[in-house]
Amino acid sequence: MYRIFSPNATDQSSVVPSQSTWIFNSLRFNSMAYVSMGEAHRRITDYLNRFSDAVFSQDAASLKLLFSFSSNSHSLLSLADALNVFQDANRLIKQSDKYSQFGEIIVPLFRSLQNYRIGNLVDAYNAFEKSSHAFLQEFRNWESAWALEALYAIAYEIRVLAERADRELAANGKSPEKLKAAGSFLMKVFGVLAGKGAKRVGALYVTCQLFKIYFKLGTVHLCRSVIRSIDTARIFDFEEFPKRDKVTYMYYTGRLEVFNENFPDADKKLSYALTHCNPRSESNIRMILKYLIPVKLSIGILPKESLLEKYNLVEYSNVVLALKRGDLRLLRHALQEHEDRFLRSGVYLVLEKLELQVFQRLFKKIYIIQKQKDPSKAHQMKLEVIVKALTWLEMDMDVDEVECIVAILIHKNLVKGYFAHKSKVVVLSKQDPFPKLNGRPVNS
Amino acid sequence: MMNQGGNTQTVASLDPNLVENRYVVDASQSQTSYLPTTTGSGAVSWNTHVVDNHSIENGSLPNSTYHHEQQTEPLVRNVQEGVNATSVASSSNSGTTAVSQDYSGYTPYLNSSDPYSYGNTGYPGYYSSYQQQPNHSYSQPVGAYQNTGAPYQPISSFPNSGSYPGSASYSGTYYHPGDYQKAGSYPSSSYNNQLNSWNEGNYANYNPHQYTNYPADASGTYNSGTAAAPAPSLQYQQQYNQWTDYYGSTEVSCAPGTENMPVATASNQVTAPGGTVGYQTTNSQPPTTYPLPWQQDSSSLQMPVLQPTAPINGSHDSYWKHGAPSFQNHHLSHLQSQLQKPMESKTLYDNFQEQQKVACPQGPNSPYPTAQQAPQNFQSPPVQTSLLDNRRASNLQIPTNPRIASNLAIGLQKTNKDSSATTAAKPAYVCISMPKPNEKVLSNDAADSILKPGMFPKSLRGYVERALGRCKDDTEMATCQAVMKEIITKATADGTLYTRDWDTEPLFPLPNGEMVNKDSLQNSTPVSALSKYKRSPSRRTKSRWEPLPEEKSINKSASASNDAVKFSGWTHSNEKDKKPFCGNMSKENGLSNIKILLSEQKSANKSTQRPVKRQRVAADGFNALDNGDASSDSDKEQSLTSYYSGAIALVNSPEERMRRENRSKRFEKGQGNRVETNHFRPRIAGAGNLYDRRASALVISKNYEDGGSRAVEDIDWDALTVKGTCQEIEKRYLRLTSAPDPSTVRPEEVLEKALLMVQNSQKNYLYKCDQLKSIRQDLTVQRIRNHLTVRVYETHARLAIEYGDLPEYNQCQSQLKILYAEGIEGCQLEFSAYNLLCVILHSNNKRELLLGMSRLSNVAKEDEAVKHALAVRAAVTSGNYVMFFRLYKTAPNLNTYFMDLYVEKMRFKAVSCMSRSYRPMVPVSYIAQVLGFASVNEGCDEKDTDGVEECVEWLKAHGASLVADNNGDLQVDAKASSSSLFMPEPEDAVSHGDSNLAVNDFLTRASSSTS
Repeated sequence: MYRIFSPNATDQSSVVPSQSTWIFNSLRFNSMAYVSMGEAHRRITDYLNRFSDAVFSQDAASLKLLFSFSSNSHSLLSLADALNVFQDANRLIKQSDKYSQFGEIIVPLFRSLQNYRIGNLVDAYNAFEKSSHAFLQEFRNWESAWALEALYAIAYEIRVLAERADRELAANGKSPEKLKAAGSFLMKVFGVLAGKGAKRVGALYVTCQLFKIYFKLGTVHLCRSVIRSIDTARIFDFEEFPKRDKVTYMYYTGRLEVFNENFPDADKKLSYALTHCNPRSESNIRMILKYLIPVKLSIGILPKESLLEKYNLVEYSNVVLALKRGDLRLLRHALQEHEDRFLRSGVYLVLEKLELQVFQRLFKKIYIIQKQKDPSKAHQMKLEVIVKALTWLEMDMDVDEVECIVAILIHKNLVKGYFAHKSKVVVLSKQDPFPKLNGRPVNS
Repeated sequence: MMNQGGNTQTVASLDPNLVENRYVVDASQSQTSYLPTTTGSGAVSWNTHVVDNHSIENGSLPNSTYHHEQQTEPLVRNVQEGVNATSVASSSNSGTTAVSQDYSGYTPYLNSSDPYSYGNTGYPGYYSSYQQQPNHSYSQPVGAYQNTGAPYQPISSFPNSGSYPGSASYSGTYYHPGDYQKAGSYPSSSYNNQLNSWNEGNYANYNPHQYTNYPADASGTYNSGTAAAPAPSLQYQQQYNQWTDYYGSTEVSCAPGTENMPVATASNQVTAPGGTVGYQTTNSQPPTTYPLPWQQDSSSLQMPVLQPTAPINGSHDSYWKHGAPSFQNHHLSHLQSQLQKPMESKTLYDNFQEQQKVACPQGPNSPYPTAQQAPQNFQSPPVQTSLLDNRRASNLQIPTNPRIASNLAIGLQKTNKDSSATTAAKPAYVCISMPKPNEKVLSNDAADSILKPGMFPKSLRGYVERALGRCKDDTEMATCQAVMKEIITKATADGTLYTRDWDTEPLFPLPNGEMVNKDSLQNSTPVSALSKYKRSPSRRTKSRWEPLPEEKSINKSASASNDAVKFSGWTHSNEKDKKPFCGNMSKENGLSNIKILLSEQKSANKSTQRPVKRQRVAADGFNALDNGDASSDSDKEQSLTSYYSGAIALVNSPEERMRRENRSKRFEKGQGNRVETNHFRPRIAGAGNLYDRRASALVISKNYEDGGSRAVEDIDWDALTVKGTCQEIEKRYLRLTSAPDPSTVRPEEVLEKALLMVQNSQKNYLYKCDQLKSIRQDLTVQRIRNHLTVRVYETHARLAIEYGDLPEYNQCQSQLKILYAEGIEGCQLEFSAYNLLCVILHSNNKRELLLGMSRLSNVAKEDEAVKHALAVRAAVTSGNYVMFFRLYKTAPNLNTYFMDLYVEKMRFKAVSCMSRSYRPMVPVSYIAQVLGFASVNEGCDEKDTDGVEECVEWLKAHGASLVADNNGDLQVDAKASSSSLFMPEPEDAVSHGDSNLAVNDFLTRASSSTS
């Protein structure tokens, strides 16, 4: 299971129709033609029986399957075909009290399934949302939290369906708004779960689904209220939430801290996610590392090249190398090379700030060379030497600019010492002139 | 004056007789009929009376009254529009009084005979649409009324009935002509107008106001009445029920008194007795409400004379309020009374008194006597006694006033006084004796105070004093008093009079000076003509609200006009008499009043026949004017109604138009009058706020359209897109509060010129900003989205950047984003650079910045301005001040201005960084050079020294410690400075946080815009 992405190994299949979908689609017309009325009736009653049985026996695992559209299970697809043949399913539902009490859930669910089958995703979403509302209403009335799994399935399905519906809307030139609607629905679900009691354990799952929606929509500020609700609820220990939800939650909150350039907290959260993440779900680990590495770099901790290679994060390789070498040019090239990627993931500004550390490394190199030449004067670094080094790196910086950099380095405590303007000399402290960050961020 | 007085006297004498006779007859009839067959019979009897009255009244007064009414209506409308509460109050005085009176008159008519027919016929003719609605609503009430009335009548029954008959007769003789006509016209016009037009937009407001007033006046009953206002039918029924009770009492008292007073106050009285019924039937809510209040008042107040009067006053107030349109006028009168009176009751009384006074003065002595007689008669018959008496007295006074007003202006005062003296309740009336409105008010107030001293809490007195202290002249004072009255009556009604903290109660806004002036003018005109005239204006105002029955109005209007005149006179006398006449209306009103007076005089001379003849004369003479006014009024009304509600159709119905056209054709002077009215209207609108701002433009346009016999409906108000016709290049920005008026919107060509003008203007930013905002507004309302739009926004954005007006820049930038996204070409790169800079330097939102950067196309990244912006971003994020100030000096476009806003922060950061990093000293010259103090041009020593000096100043201001070295060059002692640096408070900081709004700027702006 991919921990970071919660239980949804199907995440990708929702984006790209799985192979089975294609097969079923190709079979659809045939099957539609061949499904007899009796067979259709049988399939529909079968589904209805499974639904009511699952509810009465409180079998969440079975119930969950009945909602999982995106699993493209054979039973659901054949049911969809049956519904297309047997148009009067609603009558079937109303006939029996056993089914009709779930009519509010099942009728729109059938409609959604039909639309889903023929690729009409917007309508499928609308009907699914209606069904979800009805289910949530039922869920609210159930005292125990037995149906949480089914609710998880609904929360997941509605998000995935909304994403696909939005793609359909965007393709038709309409404004995509379904994901937003799914977000507000999930907020309602969160409201149902977030109280006391056994249902609360499901709140984090919904929160994670909400995070996914908000990050996708770019409305991360909406996360704050949810986070507050999770963080401040002392009644419920965070550790009691399911592990996969905790990992996902930490991943997203860690990303938020990266945006805020709050590196210690980001490090904490992302490290938590990394250590608790299922070690076999490499893609999830990669996603965590994508943010954790820049954070670690900012606090002076460099990754091994093997790690970058293992998780295919080679875009950071040159950045790390530049830090090691004090090669400003390399850093700038690396940033320029992957600018789009870094901008999209939101780490560009973080990486850009590494420039000062590169300068520190460069100064340190000069200092070491000077020390080798003349240990007695090593702590006096002439500005012109630095300028020369930068010129060699093809960094076109004049004396004033370098002086400014020096002042900033001293100011930020990356260099210990002072600058004598009159003689244009950096006077380094004799003790630890280039202090290491050691997990602390650069003074801002 | 003399003539009039004589006439009035004669009339009065005649009237009394007539009235008495009629009363007697009526009483007998009505009593009999009423008692047994409560509703049905009563209705019948009423009808007959009404008919009689109508016939007489119609013949004589109608024309004038109608005209007046029309005039009043416009005024009322103006008032309503302009002033909601306070102004309304002032206007309401005139309007309300007129309305109330009218209503009373109407009510009897309506109730008795064919209130509907009356209202319908007369009104329908005038305002078919209006009437219909009212009628419907009324009809229901009527039913209730009758029912209630039946029981009630029995109670107070006989006396009441007697009074009623009397009232009926009165109305027939004096009142009927005037009152009935007025009532008819009023109900239809004012009520209808109120209902229709106001229902849509203003009406709701008005109703509430009115109702509120009502509740205040008669706490219990009024409340019901108020409630009724919103839901006319239901409320009315309730009111009716109350009324029935009241009627019992009121009818008795009212009938006599009212009948006597009828015309002027008659309305009040009438309203109570017959008025209720009639109102219900005809006008509907307003009338009904009025009667109810009265009745309630009377009932509640019956015990104490004064109190009763107070209630009555309250009822009057409520009536006035009902007159909502006319509210302001009414309020004014109230205010006067209120001012004088600390007590609520006093206020009410004052109002009444004022009205009465007006009427009284105007009304010949004879009317009063008659009135008195009538009241006496009434009182004696019913056991209801004191209450009734009081009511009667009040009623009587009022009626007399109207009558007097219409007939004789001055002589009546004495009679009034006499009457007041006779009746216990009349003390309040004593006030009435005041010939001049103000004086009367004062006297009334005095009387009130005398009567009910100590009634009001001290804090309230203080409040009144404060309110009055603001007044600069008598007219303002009067207005204030009217408003105060209203406030106090309301407070009494809610029972908050003693609970409210008057010390902290906010003072109501002063009524418009214009309004006051108008009132005063009106008053003056009426005064000059006769006090009666003054009174008449108020009625007119009321009538205006009513859609001025146009065709029928001639006859009926004549009667109505007389009544209206009387009423208006009353109201005007109170305070608003002047108003209607003032300004636009004032002339017309004055003319109409004068004419009416003349007609009245003539009629008076003719005595019995006078109503018809007078009316006709007046109608003939003044119809033209009135018509003109009426048309203008109606136009206004139309505009208003159309504007506010969907009721437009009613007003603008083809029939209406036809009528108007006919009218205009009939009267040669009509057009001239119209022109005048048009001129006046603008004045009013400009001066007084009487007109709603929004409405004013519409009204004007409509007026023009009307001139071309165009109906308002022809304008497609729903059209979202406006096609501007304004050719003015310069236009001040005013946030739209209503649909844009094409005549004030500039078409694209003109906007192009306007943009050029702004671009080439030498005036300051605030002027340009104002102009550009108005251009943007015009573009928006015309839905122009093209290259010009982009240029306007770009121009404005650049100016805003230059001036440092970030909010305005943000507005433009967000619009520009949309416009660019629509594919309209502009300086996209330049503005994307600005956008980046704005995010970097001012919002510092990392996500936004990342978003902005990731959205930059490769082409954009090659742009000089964008590159510069990105470089600035890099310099800022790394804190590289050297780079920053280099970029600052080489900034393309307006990038410098963005950086300007960040310079201070950057310099401080830099200096604190230097003070930490440098040892031991940093030369100031270096700082000046690096931090951009020195000018860009190298090699010029002078400038460099300037830069150094500036830098020294800056460093000193920020707490750096400076030392001179051996060469005399200043150095910053880095170590000492590192702990002493601070960020000083910006010198130009203003408490509200926006230095753009600083007073200095405002003043320069004002001076520059005037220059």
